[in-house]
Amino acid sequence: MNRPDPITLGVVWGALQSVAVEIGTTIHRTAYSAQAREGQDFSVAIFDRRGRMTAQGPYSPGHMGAMNFAVLNMIEAFPLDTLRPGDVMLLNDPALGSGHLPDFFVTQPVFLGDDLIGFATNIVHHTDVGGSRPGSQAVEGVFDYHQEGLFVPPTRIVSEGVPNEQLLNLIAANSRTPENIRGDMAAQRNALRVGERRLQELVARHGVELYEACIETILDETEATMRAAIAAIPDGRYEFSDYLDDCGPNTEPLRVAVAVTVSGDSIGVDFAGTSPQTETGVNAYLNYTRSYSYAAIKCLTDPYGPMNAGALRPMDVTAPEGSFLNPRRPAGGGPRAIICYRVFEAVLGALSQAVPDRVAAASSHFSNPTWGGHDPVSGRRFVTYELILGGTGARAAQDGVEAMASAFNASNIPVEALEAVQPAVVERFELIPDSGGAGRFRGGCGVRRDIRILGESIKFTNLSERQRFAPFGLFGGRPGALGRTVVNPGRQDERLVGGKASLDLRYGDVVSFQLSGGGGFGDPRERERDAVLRDVRLGLVSALAAHEQYGVVVDSGPSTSDTVPAVAVAPASGGTAT
Amino acid sequence: MIRAGFDVGGTFTDFVLEDEAGRWHTGKRLTTYPDPSEACLEGLRELLAKAGVSLAEVESTVHGTTLGSNIVIERRAHGVGLITTAGFRDVLQIGREKRYQVYDLQIAKPEPLIDRSMIWEVRERVLADGSVLVGLDDEETRATLRDIARKGVTSLAVCLLHSYINPEHERRIAELAREVAPEMVVSISSEVSPQFREYERTSTTVVNAYVITAVREYLRKMSGELARGGYRGRLFIMQSGGGVATAEAMWNLPVRMIESGPAAGALIAARFGVASGHTNVVAFDMGGTTAKLSMIVDGEPASVGQFELHRVKLAAGSGIPMNVRSLDLVEIGAGGGSIARVSQGTIRVGPESAGSAPGPACYGRGGTAATVTDANLVLGYFNPARFAGGTMTLDVEAARVAIGRVAEPLGLTIEEAAWGIHSLVTLNMELATRVVSIERGNDPRELALVATGGSGPAHACRMALALGMRSVLVPAAAGVASAVGLLSADVKFDTSRSFVSRLDTMSPDRLTRMFAEMEAEAVHVVGKSSAGSNLRLVREADLRYVGQGFELTVPLAAGTLTSDAIGEARRAFDEVYARRYGCAHPDKPVEATTWKVTAHGDSRPLRLPEIASAPNGEPARSARSREAYFPESGGYVETPVYDREALLANHLIRGPAIIEERESTTVIPPGMAAVIDRHGTARVEVER
Repeated sequence: MNRPDPITLGVVWGALQSVAVEIGTTIHRTAYSAQAREGQDFSVAIFDRRGRMTAQGPYSPGHMGAMNFAVLNMIEAFPLDTLRPGDVMLLNDPALGSGHLPDFFVTQPVFLGDDLIGFATNIVHHTDVGGSRPGSQAVEGVFDYHQEGLFVPPTRIVSEGVPNEQLLNLIAANSRTPENIRGDMAAQRNALRVGERRLQELVARHGVELYEACIETILDETEATMRAAIAAIPDGRYEFSDYLDDCGPNTEPLRVAVAVTVSGDSIGVDFAGTSPQTETGVNAYLNYTRSYSYAAIKCLTDPYGPMNAGALRPMDVTAPEGSFLNPRRPAGGGPRAIICYRVFEAVLGALSQAVPDRVAAASSHFSNPTWGGHDPVSGRRFVTYELILGGTGARAAQDGVEAMASAFNASNIPVEALEAVQPAVVERFELIPDSGGAGRFRGGCGVRRDIRILGESIKFTNLSERQRFAPFGLFGGRPGALGRTVVNPGRQDERLVGGKASLDLRYGDVVSFQLSGGGGFGDPRERERDAVLRDVRLGLVSALAAHEQYGVVVDSGPSTSDTVPAVAVAPASGGTAT
Repeated sequence: MIRAGFDVGGTFTDFVLEDEAGRWHTGKRLTTYPDPSEACLEGLRELLAKAGVSLAEVESTVHGTTLGSNIVIERRAHGVGLITTAGFRDVLQIGREKRYQVYDLQIAKPEPLIDRSMIWEVRERVLADGSVLVGLDDEETRATLRDIARKGVTSLAVCLLHSYINPEHERRIAELAREVAPEMVVSISSEVSPQFREYERTSTTVVNAYVITAVREYLRKMSGELARGGYRGRLFIMQSGGGVATAEAMWNLPVRMIESGPAAGALIAARFGVASGHTNVVAFDMGGTTAKLSMIVDGEPASVGQFELHRVKLAAGSGIPMNVRSLDLVEIGAGGGSIARVSQGTIRVGPESAGSAPGPACYGRGGTAATVTDANLVLGYFNPARFAGGTMTLDVEAARVAIGRVAEPLGLTIEEAAWGIHSLVTLNMELATRVVSIERGNDPRELALVATGGSGPAHACRMALALGMRSVLVPAAAGVASAVGLLSADVKFDTSRSFVSRLDTMSPDRLTRMFAEMEAEAVHVVGKSSAGSNLRLVREADLRYVGQGFELTVPLAAGTLTSDAIGEARRAFDEVYARRYGCAHPDKPVEATTWKVTAHGDSRPLRLPEIASAPNGEPARSARSREAYFPESGGYVETPVYDREALLANHLIRGPAIIEERESTTVIPPGMAAVIDRHGTARVEVER
């Protein structure tokens, strides 16, 4: 096949990327639920007729690895010669898709005349697909995915433009939020139609042959760029390990061990040595492990470059079968998002030995609790979903960012928006002084959010991390302070609760989410004196910590706020590079 | 009636004077620093002298300025403090927390405008329904205010939780501040922006407090100088949303005038669109570093209730959010200075820009990168001797050398590479326009394109062709469009207030009372500004289905509200929702978040100047010709060049052709034709 001329290549490439963005815009515009709309918890991509990803929209990193494999899995279930224009296939099988049941992966073959020219696809995280707890992300009491909600193997839900209404009804009926699931599935199908039409226009304009020549070049050029970026990383085998606190009350830590091998222009990520799969929801099917491994490598190589099958060619991600990063069926995987930071950060930690200037220390870990109960004022039952996010880890030449999401990208929920619709009062939402890991560059602070729950018969599920294993620092940077979850802080009945505990709470109970701080970078004694004094003036570092950790004596500096728990000194080891 | 408009931009201040006969006199001079009012007053004097008019004869002046925006970007203000509810001191620093670049580990948040040590908490708490959980203690508050004054705070922002629904505590703090520190200027969020979502409201209030001292000083000086010159009329200020209000109305709300330039530009694009029979258009303004795209719907620039100031590399979510009505604008890194480079076997253009220094290679100021302007010069589109009104001579050889560096590694000729750069930057703008229009529920094929800016008219026809648009309009005198836009703005003032409540349980009486208060406020401002009494009030509500996190704006009935009127709003919401998203959910409950009123004062429609006519369809006579590159004609062809100033109404120009004017160049590709209308606008009909 001849190489296309450079200008046509640029035009087709730009247009293809735009088709992906248009599919994404359509979901964003027409989805019903808040997490698809505001959280942008979805992904879109275009594939060629051989099932190779040619363009991906810039949305959730969590789907990056899944997209490429899910289409191949779909093609395996529905051979190409059985596909017809207007067909739509759905799956949420965690092992074939993106690792948990709420992610609905849909794909539509695109034809120009009689010729199959590719596939339009998207994944949307649905609010609820049934299972033991609202949101379908329970940790405890889940020993397989059958307890997590409705399971959909590869299934044709639309045949030649005619939807299977009975099937769609069945799916909606299995959700606690049937309107959301209908609305969001309609958005997914709208988006496929937009992708189909725009891809047809694009191919018709340039002709199938020239279009396919462009695709080959696009994949090869992207691969070449990625390989060149990897080749610039010194060869070697770089190991790192870290732990998740647990997978529920009274469980052991889960070890994440990784060896990243850079060899010329390819890179291998192997999670050998990682803990076995768990009999809870805390398991990441391989596609999810791949997603955050790819995301980490992308950050270190070509952060603004295109994402397609070519970019993935130089990367190989493996994990032992039966480990919690590559579990065997039918392991649960609902709350897998709690794992993503650890996968992402383990790869960064390993490669910090090779490209120290490009990495970051570990970030503060988010909390993603949910609770429900009875609201005595409205007389209704309610479900509240919270997302608390802290700061990022320090970098080689900059402090970590205060209060900003890391690999799992999302927004917080405004206090006034939450209180307007939920029976809750947020009592504080602030940075935790002395929580950012000390270093030449300081890690971002942890964030504290205290919420008084004004409901009765509250069923509360915590989903928090970094309460036993602190976010690691790098190159002499100290780990961030540990996080913790406290019920009724400062009251007689104050108690510490586990990061993945399920609790019954009473009307007026306060839950205080105190997140860990990001790790530091470099020796704290090398931090510029002015930067330390500034932190003290801002009240983010106490005079005591300035002295003890940075060796800076503050004459008459203000002490830190009296509302803050003491710094956790010498927390259990976070990540270790070997 | 004689009116004057002047618009302060980063580099130039533009002037326009409309005389008794409706003729326009225009002027331009360099913006002065640090005091931009110097250039304004100088330029105004000069223009008046040229037109033979005295300042005393001018009935009204309209002023646009980026002063507020500059103070913020340069972090120039001092002595600004903030009070928050206890427990929420970090609201500004925490923000919404989303990464604005997912894979770039080296990003940072812009420095908050107020240092954490200048933020104080007061013990108080209001709940979402407006009830008081913890009262405000006067003594504690006085002590805090004394501490604040001691720390040197001269401008104080106050933003307490849920103050949009119950402003009592904020008002009390303002009263106590007057008592404790009478010189301190206080901006309270319930006045600046009574809308829910505490980060955005705090941010808006803080920007107000941040710019208020400098803006007041500036307005005081400007009004004083005008009065000394004999001016007796009103000084109107352009707001970011495209309406004007008096300088007095901006006294307490300077955040409303934070960025007026783009709004004025879109207004004039709207006006020219309507004059040519197009009420739905995309205004396309391509300058040196970026291209700005905005939608004009029903002859009015679309505006939004929120915008972000100073985004990092134009990335959404990276700027300072503000609840200020502003133009609904998308800006991308595509301009004349955008740099082209070889990457992955093709050419990428932008978003990096050579700016004006060193600028494109052809400027001869030391720039070596190949830019869009270099490509347009090599293609023969730009006239090397008449660039920027003849103030610059361009170096064609330097442009060829720069483009050659892009061409060579790709095995292209210099001409092919130049064409590639031209096409690919056009593609970038085409794709952005597509997203802009579909995101807002418009099909680009049903829109016209109004092109302005130094580079816009050189790319507009190709862009329209690719988008399937039928018409391209290139207004004359686009160089001072924003100053002219000021004169076409209506007197307008909007107020809004959040009150989150389900429509089916909402009390119509309470709503009626709330609107009465809001309307009194808006009428107070606009009534004082308007000569006549033709005041028009427009009510709107932001509604959403319960459980959703995003709202759509729908109109609401005037007068006393009944449950029928509320039901009507609900039906209107279902309709708007269905139009935008394909289907509605009439069985789902709907809730309101924010209620809005806009008061429109008298407007005096701008009379667009008319030019002399030629007989219908008479071909225009070209001034000269040169070789220009059109691939459909096989490469370089001798192409007629027309002088914009010499064209008459009804003149017909068939492509390929080039129309030159002082500040821009219009390129008409083969197969397209332009007709000059009576306002001098070149109307290009695109064949599909």
